[in-house]
Amino acid sequence: MRGSVNRPPTPDVDDEPQKEPTLQEIINIKLIESGEKEKLMDLLRERLIECGWRDEMKALCRSYARKKGRNNVTVDDLIHVITPKGRASVPDSVKAELLQRIRAFLTSAAL
Amino acid sequence: MSASDDGSSSPRSQLCSQVFGDLLDSIIVDAASECHRIARLGLDRNLEEEEEELRLSAQARVADPSSSSDGNSKNMVDIFGQTHPAIASEIFDCMNCGRPIVAGRFAPHLEKCMGKGRKARQKTTRSTTMAQSRNSRGSPISVYAPYSTANSINRVPNGGSSASAEYKDYAFDEP
Repeated sequence: MRGSVNRPPTPDVDDEPQKEPTLQEIINIKLIESGEKEKLMDLLRERLIECGWRDEMKALCRSYARKKGRNNVTVDDLIHVITPKGRASVPDSVKAELLQRIRAFLTSAAL
Repeated sequence: MSASDDGSSSPRSQLCSQVFGDLLDSIIVDAASECHRIARLGLDRNLEEEEEELRLSAQARVADPSSSSDGNSKNMVDIFGQTHPAIASEIFDCMNCGRPIVAGRFAPHLEKCMGKGRKARQKTTRSTTMAQSRNSRGSPISVYAPYSTANSINRVPNGGSSASAEYKDYAFDEP
C-alpha cells in the first residue's frame, strides 16, 4: 500500500536554497497585486479591437479552420497560427501607448 | 538599473517589452480560444458549411412528397421533422352553438354563428333591433348569449314576436 501512490517526498524543511525570484517575476507580482495588470490588459484588448487586429486574427482562424476542417482544429493549432502574425501586426501607436504605461508603472513602483 | 532610458536596448525597456509581450500572449490565447469555439460549434457561417446546410434543407424539402412552392411553410418539414396539412383537420365543439366543427372551418363558422363580419343570413326583425337597443343601455343580464350581443344573429326564435315584452320575459321566451 505504501508504494501505491507515486509521489515525491514532501520537503519538510527548506533543504534546498530557494531560488531568488527573478526580476520578471517580481514585476509580474507587483503588477497583479496593484491591479495594474488587469487595467493594462483591458486597455490593450480595447485598442486591439478598435484597430481591427482582433478581426484580422479571427479571419486567419476562420480560413485555417476551413482548410483543416472545422472539427479538426485545436486551440494549440490556432495559437500557433495567430502568434507570429499577431505579434507583428500590432499597430505602433498601440504598442507605444502600452509601453509608456508600463514604464510609468515601473517608475512608480521604484523598480 | 539606469535611471534614464538609453533606447530599446536598456534593461528597463527590455523589461517593458517583456511585460507587453506577456499581455499580448494572453490576448492571443483569448482570441484563439474564441475562434476555436466558434469553429467547433459551427457558429460561423463558413462558405462550405453554408453549401452543406443548403443541401440539407433542399433534401428536407424534397423528402416531403406533397411539397409545393417555397412560401408554403405548412407543407414543409418543420424543425421537429413533422409535416402539417394546409387546412387543420381536428374536430372540436363550437363553444357558441355546441356543434362539432372542423378547426380549419372554424373562422367562417364563427362569422355565421356569432353574426360578426358579413351580415349574410341576418333577419333584422323588430325583436332583434329592440334587443340591440336594450343591450346598448348596458343591461347586465345576458342569460342567452346569442341575444345579448350587439349584433343580432340569424336564429330568430319562433316566438320572436314576443319581443315587445320586457327584456326579462324575452329571455324566458327562448326555446
